[in-house]
Amino acid sequence: MQPAVQLNRVSKSFRVRRARGGGMTARARDLFRPLTETVQAIDSLSFSIAPGERVAFIGPNGAGKSTTLKVLAGILRPDAGEVRVLGFVPSDERRRLAFHIGTVFGQRSQLWYQLPPRDTFELLGRVYEIDRRQHRRRVEMLTTLFQLDALVDTPVRHLSLGERMRCEIAASLLHSPRLLFLDEPTIGLDVSAKAAIRDLLQTESERERVTLLLTSHDTGDIERVCTRVIVITHGRLLWDGPVAALRSAVIGNRALDEAPLDEVIRALYADGARRRCAP
Amino acid sequence: MTPAVAKYVAFARVAAAQVRHERSDLAGRVLFFAVILGVFSSLWRAAVDAGLPVGADSKQLLWYLAITEWITLSTPQIHLDIQDTIRRGDVIYRLGRPASFVLAELAAGLGLLAVRLPVLGLAAVGCAAWFTGWVPPLTALAIVVPIGIAAAVMLTALHVWIGLLAFWLQDVSPVYWVCQKLLFVLGGMMLPLQLYPELVQRLAALTPCPVLLAAPASFVLGSPAMAPRTLIVRLALWSGAIALGMRWTFRRAAADLMINGG
Repeated sequence: MQPAVQLNRVSKSFRVRRARGGGMTARARDLFRPLTETVQAIDSLSFSIAPGERVAFIGPNGAGKSTTLKVLAGILRPDAGEVRVLGFVPSDERRRLAFHIGTVFGQRSQLWYQLPPRDTFELLGRVYEIDRRQHRRRVEMLTTLFQLDALVDTPVRHLSLGERMRCEIAASLLHSPRLLFLDEPTIGLDVSAKAAIRDLLQTESERERVTLLLTSHDTGDIERVCTRVIVITHGRLLWDGPVAALRSAVIGNRALDEAPLDEVIRALYADGARRRCAP
Repeated sequence: MTPAVAKYVAFARVAAAQVRHERSDLAGRVLFFAVILGVFSSLWRAAVDAGLPVGADSKQLLWYLAITEWITLSTPQIHLDIQDTIRRGDVIYRLGRPASFVLAELAAGLGLLAVRLPVLGLAAVGCAAWFTGWVPPLTALAIVVPIGIAAAVMLTALHVWIGLLAFWLQDVSPVYWVCQKLLFVLGGMMLPLQLYPELVQRLAALTPCPVLLAAPASFVLGSPAMAPRTLIVRLALWSGAIALGMRWTFRRAAADLMINGG
C-alpha cells in the first residue's frame, strides 16, 4: 500500500541575516553587505506514515516541525531529499495536492470573523469545487457530528475559542481530505473543550480513515488522539514508534516507567540535546 | 460558470457579505464624502465670487470632485488586509488551498467594491446635485459611470499589488501613501489636469494616474481629457501592466517563500 506521507533524507536550510552590531559603520555595512548565516531547519529527515495512521509529530521549539509541515503541504521546497504526500510531489503539485489535504492551525483562523461559519463553509465548498448537493449533505453531516447546529449561523466573533475550533476542524474536513495536518489544535482551550476536540479527531479519523499528523506540546493530545509519535530535534529524527513504547525510549532511566508522558518527553528532548552536544 | 470562476465569485460574495456587517464604516465614508463636497462647494463658490480664475464652472468642478472621490473612496484598502494576512502568517493557510492567492485577494477586493460603488455613487450624485442644484447631461453620466467602475477596479488591482510587497516590507503604508500623493497630483484628484502646468500634464501622461481619476471625471466638465475609446484602450493597457506586475511580484514572493521560508 502506498504510504500517505513519505520523506526520504529531506533537508531544508534557511539563510538568515545577522546584524554586526556596533555603531553607524557596522549598520551601513549591514545595509550594503549583510552578514548571512545558514540555519539547518531539517537535516536528512526520513519517515513514512501509512494511510489512516494518527501520528503525533513533536519536538522542542525550533525543532523544525512547522518547516516539515510546510514542506509536506508544498509551501516550502526542500533543498535535498524526496517527499511524497498521497503520491504527489508537494512542491511541484501543490494545487493538486491541496484538494486532498486539510489544515488546522490552532493559532490561525480560516473562518471569516464577521460572518457566520456557514458562509466560510459555502466559500470552501466553492474553493474545493465540491458538487453543490454533495456539499450541502457534507455540511449537514458535519454540523450534526460536531454539534454545530446552534453555531453555524452565529457570527464567528460571538463564538468561544472551543466553539470556533470545532467549526475550524469541520471546515477543514468539508472536502473529505485524506490527510489532515493539525498544528496545536487544542491550544488555549479549557479541559472540556480539549476533550471534545480530541474525541472528534479520533472519531473522524477512524470513521473516514483520515491520516492525521498532529503537532502539539500538549501530551493529552498525543495520548488521546495518536497511536504513534515521531520526535524530532534540531531537524533530525530522535525517536519514532508507538505512543505506548515512548517510555522505553529514555534508556537507562527506570524512574520514568510510571512518570507522566510530558516528563518522559522532556527527558527525551534532554537526551537528544546531550547527544547533539557530545563530541 | 466554471468551478474555477465560481470560487473567485464566492470570494467576492463573502467579502461583500462581510462589508454589509461593517455598516458603520460605509456610513462614515458617506458622511466624509458629504462633508468634502460641502466644503469644496463653498470654496469654489467663494473663489468664483471673489473673481478668482478657477478655470472652469464651479458646478462642473464640484461634479468633477464628486467623481474622483467616488472612485477613490469606493476602492477598498485591500493592501492592509493582504499585509495582515502575510504578517500574521495566515498566508500559509491560503497558499495551501486550491485557489490563486492573488486572484482570491483581488476577488475579495472587488466584492467590497461591489457594495461601496453603488452606495457611494448614490451619495456622490445626491450630494453634488444638492450642493450645485445642477446635474450634468445624462450622456456624460452614461460614460462616467462604466468608466469610473473600470477605473475603480484597476485601482483595486493596484492596491492588491501594493499589498503583495508585504512579503518583503514590514509595512506597505509608505508605498500606499506615495501612490496616493501621486494620484492627488498627477491624477488630478481635486482639480482637472487641464488646469495644471504643462510640465505636470506631460509627466502625468507617463503614469496611470490620469486614466484612474482625471480622465473619467473630465466627462462632466464638458471638455473630456480624451475620447472614451482612447480612455478605454489606455485603461486596458495599464490594467494589463498592473496584472503583469502583480503576477511577477507574487511569483518572486512565492519563490522566495519556497526557498527561504516565511
